[in-house]
Formats: sequence, structure tokens, C-alpha cells
Amino acid sequence: MGEKKWELRFYTVPEWQKEEEYLRQRHREGWRFLRLRGLGLYEFEACPPEDVVYRLDYNAAGGTGDYLRLFRDCGWEYLQDYLGYSYFRKPAGEAGDEDIFCDDQSRLDMMVRVFKGRLVPLLAVFLSCLVPNLLRLLLFPEPGGLAAFLVALLSLVSLLYLYCFIRFGALLWRYWRSVRR
Amino acid sequence: MEQALAAHIRRVYVPMTETGFYILLCLRQESHGYGVIRRVEDLTGGQLRISPGTMYGSLRKMERDGLIRFVREEDQRKLYRVTPLGEWVLELETARITRLYQTMKEALEGDG
Repeated sequence: MGEKKWELRFYTVPEWQKEEEYLRQRHREGWRFLRLRGLGLYEFEACPPEDVVYRLDYNAAGGTGDYLRLFRDCGWEYLQDYLGYSYFRKPAGEAGDEDIFCDDQSRLDMMVRVFKGRLVPLLAVFLSCLVPNLLRLLLFPEPGGLAAFLVALLSLVSLLYLYCFIRFGALLWRYWRSVRR
Repeated sequence: MEQALAAHIRRVYVPMTETGFYILLCLRQESHGYGVIRRVEDLTGGQLRISPGTMYGSLRKMERDGLIRFVREEDQRKLYRVTPLGEWVLELETARITRLYQTMKEALEGDG
């Protein structure tokens, strides 16, 4: 068994392309992705450096029979499912442009699935819990270190949420326009 | 056909993506997703390689909208076939593409 290493990385919901590039880069450097556990612990195994494309799909059918069969028939190796995403990889080939989608419409469809599956629940939590609590603490300040810590924590989480929404919104808008053009 | 359904199908599928058109064209004969991918590669001389995520999503969508129907499963591959509604969409698209081609030819000949 080869040498192993673990790396802790955190990608927000709309950052799957960054994650794909990260895994590809590690493989180029001689570290093959094995699995992802917990809240962002990536396990790698030493391997000969190779250009391998990693792709993530967000699909309710992830990990099931005919879905996986189709990907395997097309030469994609299935790695795992993690928080609704299915992880695949394939050697880059000559053109190096292997992809699991071949038109903008299907890329947009995937984004809509991510939006419905991940962003809508996040938005519900954001609007029903985070915002009211943050407003309450800001409008009716309570004395003490705990209240200040809560304001700081809620503000930080709210900023992270806002970053996710804006980033995803921009991505979705760009694709939407390119498809509707 | 119900008018609302016809209008919905026209709005969503006409004009079709190149991928969608080839899928319907190939599913006049019973086939599974990978079979269609290989057939399209043959038909286009390797110019169009439909990716699995695109193929899977298109099949689901077309099945949900009644353009194709599931026939049977073989070795974990689902086989589909075009429905009368799918054939109607294919006819609409064929007529549109033929018109486009003829218009282009006439315009080019006119210029020449």
C-alpha cells in the first residue's frame, strides 16, 4: 500500500469547479484522491503523476444502477457520493477536455438541481434563523461577552451565506444568459 | 393533442439542442443511453460525443415529458424508445431544419 496523506479543505456549495481543479492538481503532483470524509477531510494516496480530470455531478440518482452504468460505459471511474455530489474521474486524454456535460443546457440543469437541493434549504435557514437572530441582537443589544461573541459568529456565518448566494447567483445568471442567448 | 401540452412541448423542445435532436433520432429504434452515444459518434464521424451527464439528464427529462418511454432494463442499462409525441417533435424539428437549410442554400445561391 502506498504512502497516504490527508488534507483539510472546505468548499462552499457553488465551488464544485474549484474542488474539481484541486483534485486534478493533486493527481498531477502524484497524489490520487481516495475519499472525502467528515467536513472536508480529503484522503490521498501516492501515485505516479498523471493528468486526470475530476468531475462532480449533483443528481438524485447518484450512486445508483443505470446512472453509474452509463458513466462507467463512458470510461468514468466512480469514486463516491458526498452530500449529494457524485465524484468521478477519467484520464485527461489528448485534448484534456473530458467532461461529464457537453452542452450549456445540461450544465445549467445541474446548477438548478444544486440550487434546489442545497441553496433553497440554506436560504430557508438563513431567512428564518440567522437573519432574525442577528437583527434581534443588533437592535436590542444585550450586555456581556457571550452576546458580543454571538453577534460576531452570526455575522461571520451570514457573510459566508451571502458569499455563497452571490457567487452561485452570478454563476447561474451567466449560464442562464449563455443558454438563453 | 391538448393545446396546452402542445404549446408547452413546443416551447421547451423547439428548437431543440443538437444533443436532444440526435437522441430522438436514434431512439426511433429501441436503445440505451450508451448505445445512443455510440450511434451519434458513428453518425457524426466522431464530431459529436454526448457526455454521460448530459445524456442521463436528457433521457430523464424526455421520459418525464413523454417524448420517450422506458421499455426494459438489460444489464443495468435502461432501454428507451420514442413515443408518438416524440415523433411529432422530431417531425417539427426536421421540418424546421429542412426549411433552414433550404433558406440558407437559396440565400447563398442568390448571393452567388
